[in-house]
Amino acid sequence: MRQTVRVPPPVTTNPSGAVDAALAACADGDPASFTPVYDALAPVAYGTCLGVLRDADHAAEVMQEVMVEVWQTAARFDAARGSARTYVATLARRRAVDRVRAEQARRDRDQRDLDTNLATAPRDIVADDVERMLEGAAVRRCLGSLTDTQREAVVEAYYGGYTYREVADRLDAALPTVKSRIRDGLIRLRECLGVNRG
Amino acid sequence: MADDIRPDVRDLLPAYALDAVDDLERRAVERLLESDPDARRELDEFRDVVAAFAVEQAPPASVRDSVLARVADTPQVSATPRAGSASGVTPLRAAQHSAGGRARVRWGLVAAAAAAVVAVGVPTTVAVRATQEQQRLEAQADTVDRMLADPSATIVRSDVTGGGEASVLVAGDDFLFRASDLPDAGDDSDYQLWVVDAEGAATSAGVLSADGGSVEQLVEDVPGTAVAMTVEPEGGSQQPTTEPIVVLGA
Repeated sequence: MRQTVRVPPPVTTNPSGAVDAALAACADGDPASFTPVYDALAPVAYGTCLGVLRDADHAAEVMQEVMVEVWQTAARFDAARGSARTYVATLARRRAVDRVRAEQARRDRDQRDLDTNLATAPRDIVADDVERMLEGAAVRRCLGSLTDTQREAVVEAYYGGYTYREVADRLDAALPTVKSRIRDGLIRLRECLGVNRG
Repeated sequence: MADDIRPDVRDLLPAYALDAVDDLERRAVERLLESDPDARRELDEFRDVVAAFAVEQAPPASVRDSVLARVADTPQVSATPRAGSASGVTPLRAAQHSAGGRARVRWGLVAAAAAAVVAVGVPTTVAVRATQEQQRLEAQADTVDRMLADPSATIVRSDVTGGGEASVLVAGDDFLFRASDLPDAGDDSDYQLWVVDAEGAATSAGVLSADGGSVEQLVEDVPGTAVAMTVEPEGGSQQPTTEPIVVLGA
């Protein structure tokens, strides 16, 4: 993750019909059919987990659970509703956010047990980190279409794994305001990315 | 009421796609998704947007063999989502706890209000109850099965102030709360369940629909040391506004 060699941006929007079909085919229950699916989709699961967890070991652990779950639930994948990539990224994000929140709860308890006030906010999001993590992300070119406040709210929620309520607390902004920023931000990104399932 | 909150709930779709909602909101969104194909389509679009943040990274090579080995031994689940869940829409939590049954129980605090609590050791007691549990909870069977299989699971019971009895099955961060013989909450009131952490902070675990005085709520993955039920204004509250009528801790 800390490599200095610039990797070419992965093609994230490539027509992924073959991967979609491979994931759908796994639903038949043949474990051997999962190998190409793993090879195609584990990188998006791992990348998603890294974005939220920012720790290679944690990310690898959660990614493992995610990929086993992708296998288990292959029959629920519906290509009409989204690509296999989006399906896996959604699942991975959910699991990674669960992990971050559980870790946070544990830290909060430990913190209290130790009765210490060294409250280093472990989920702080550093602008440079965000820039680095966004390198190669399809969404990057579109973030410029957001207002500063929209961008801030969306980035906090995405990389911090925060609820919008927590984002409002952190930014010291009103709850409805933050909810709107996130909504309007995602709507603008949707337009910029040209996502349209209508 | 549903009609009143619907526009609001719909506004939560982007935050839901980002996993930036709390448990109560998540449920509200999932109810909307079950009945509203337009909302599902909109969510699918937001999910594509959120997925556009992901950057592929090569995972450690060692993980590959381990995943493929587990896949060879892991049965698949059927395509049919269970009633009441939004699967197909929402990835289920089913596989989450599969690895190495978590032994941690954080049920350290006994809330002062839980005076008449009887803690029942598990697994023996629970194993006997397992059949009944499964019959009554078909829609939640997977989760409950997993909870029952957890050797650290406990059941705690207590009377409810004002009438009725409540119990909770606790396994890790999952709770199955039940109460029976509850009096009617009143026309403009609802029973609401909370997960309480060691510092007393409450997280809503949902407004309970009392069916003939009985309520049942499965709460997944919310860390806490106790569950509490309060009577709240109709539709529930963000934070408890009244004293709990029952607190169950173990």
